[in-house]
Amino acid sequence: MNSLGVLLDIPSVRLALVALVLGSVALPIVGVFIVGLDIMPVRFAMMHVALLGIAIGLLTGLDPLLCALVLCGLTGGALTPLARSATGLSGAMGLLMTLAVAAALLVLSLSGVNANGAFELLWGSILATRPADVLALAVLAVVVPLLYVLRRRDLALLLHDRELALCSGVAVERLTLILLVVVAVAIASAIRLTGALLVDALTLLPALAARRVGRSLPAMIRWSVIFGLVFNVGGFFISLILDFPPGPTLVLLGGVCTLLLHALPAVSAPRRKAISR
Amino acid sequence: MSSPPRGLSAHAAPLRLAGVTCRHGRLTAVDRVDLDLAPGEHLAITGTNGSGKSTLLRAILGLHRETSGLIEVGGARAGGTADWARRRSEVAWVPQRQTAGRFPLLLSELLASGGHVERSVRAAGELGVGDLLDRPLGTLSGGQLQRAYLARALGQVAAGAGLVLADEPTAALDFAGQEQVAAVLAELPVTVVVVTHDRAMVEACGRVAEMAAGRLREIA
Ligand SMILES: Nc1ncnc2c1ncn2[C@@H]1O[C@H](COP(=O)(O)OP(=O)(O)O)[C@@H](O)[C@H]1O
Ligand SMILES: [Mg+2]
Repeated sequence: MNSLGVLLDIPSVRLALVALVLGSVALPIVGVFIVGLDIMPVRFAMMHVALLGIAIGLLTGLDPLLCALVLCGLTGGALTPLARSATGLSGAMGLLMTLAVAAALLVLSLSGVNANGAFELLWGSILATRPADVLALAVLAVVVPLLYVLRRRDLALLLHDRELALCSGVAVERLTLILLVVVAVAIASAIRLTGALLVDALTLLPALAARRVGRSLPAMIRWSVIFGLVFNVGGFFISLILDFPPGPTLVLLGGVCTLLLHALPAVSAPRRKAISR
Repeated sequence: MSSPPRGLSAHAAPLRLAGVTCRHGRLTAVDRVDLDLAPGEHLAITGTNGSGKSTLLRAILGLHRETSGLIEVGGARAGGTADWARRRSEVAWVPQRQTAGRFPLLLSELLASGGHVERSVRAAGELGVGDLLDRPLGTLSGGQLQRAYLARALGQVAAGAGLVLADEPTAALDFAGQEQVAAVLAELPVTVVVVTHDRAMVEACGRVAEMAAGRLREIA
């Protein structure tokens, strides 16, 4: 057992905590967007695109995180036409994913960098958080809630049904573009915290838990942020106290809580009938 | 030709289709359809399942991509994004498959999306779903959802839509509901196209057409 007080005096631990709190504001909302747009394959492909961005950064000597952010943002934007049908997006993602990884491996071998080095970056570690990562998350923590507040009505309609949104005066193409770019950039910045394989802990788990208790978009957004904070900060403290690796601990805490929420009878929504998904 | 019983709305829009063809890949779902509706005229479209009725209505809203031919609402064609946005604000739509959606949307939010909250909420009350405003659409029954979408469409008309496209709006309703909705649609002072298999609804419309294998043929 470690003493929390002592650990919290370590600068890297404090920086990690700040990053997690900031991430808990923006990333769960992004998770709600991902669930609502039904674009889970997109975020998976984005992790691979982020790897390509990191590889390009290593080749050119530019900042790998910045390259990953920019490349993911551009790719997200370029996907907008495919979002007209959900199948269009998920179908293309396998291709994008494979191409991105192949390109990343090619770039890595050209740059003479050991591929493991790049994968290490992709693996990420909360305690290796740099001020630049915190800055990226801070920007997201402002931009994402702002996007939600300013476009609440449009988002609720688009996430519910694209055609209903089209017929309600929502600028669907533009909003989809913005959402895809935000999702892509958020994934790229979250990768630094938990690593690519565990990004879901920060985005999807709080959103999935929130879907269980929230009956409307505003309620889901609120709950997702609450769950995000509980999973991330709670998991982080547990990992510190028990001296576990933080990433997996966060994910397991979030995963177990989400599972429990879905297993328990719907207490908070007594009138709700079973909805087949 | 018959005019609606009440006075015509200033928004009532003419609808003109010429040589409209819609494909689903290699299938021709709508085949060279011509139609002229004067402002305020009511047309019922009947026809077997799969004859292209829903596809035709969706094409008017720009929701069906593989469409060719001339479609004018209020004398205007739609080309760019801005045109289509205006078209969709001029046309109220009651979709055949009302979505319960992937994501929770409250009935109150659906009603507000029609552009005239007050009228939609009042219509929801008249149609018997007024006490469900804070319910997510996913928890409504098929008939309740259908009434909700109809209430939204009435709000759209109040907000200035001059053409109503109703796709089997009574399919999920009980007998009393069918009569009520037929009466509500018949009284609308705007242009109406209603796809229906309901005799009372057909009789309430001034014009009747039948769709068969993508071809539209006027029968009354
Ligand atoms: N998304 C789709 N993809 C392929 N074919 C479709 C699709 N939607 C409808 N169709 C086909 O187009 C034809 C017309 O469908 P539809 O307009 O829905 O008919 P109706 O409304 O008259 O029952 C049918 O043969 C149907 O199977
Ligand atoms: Mg149909």
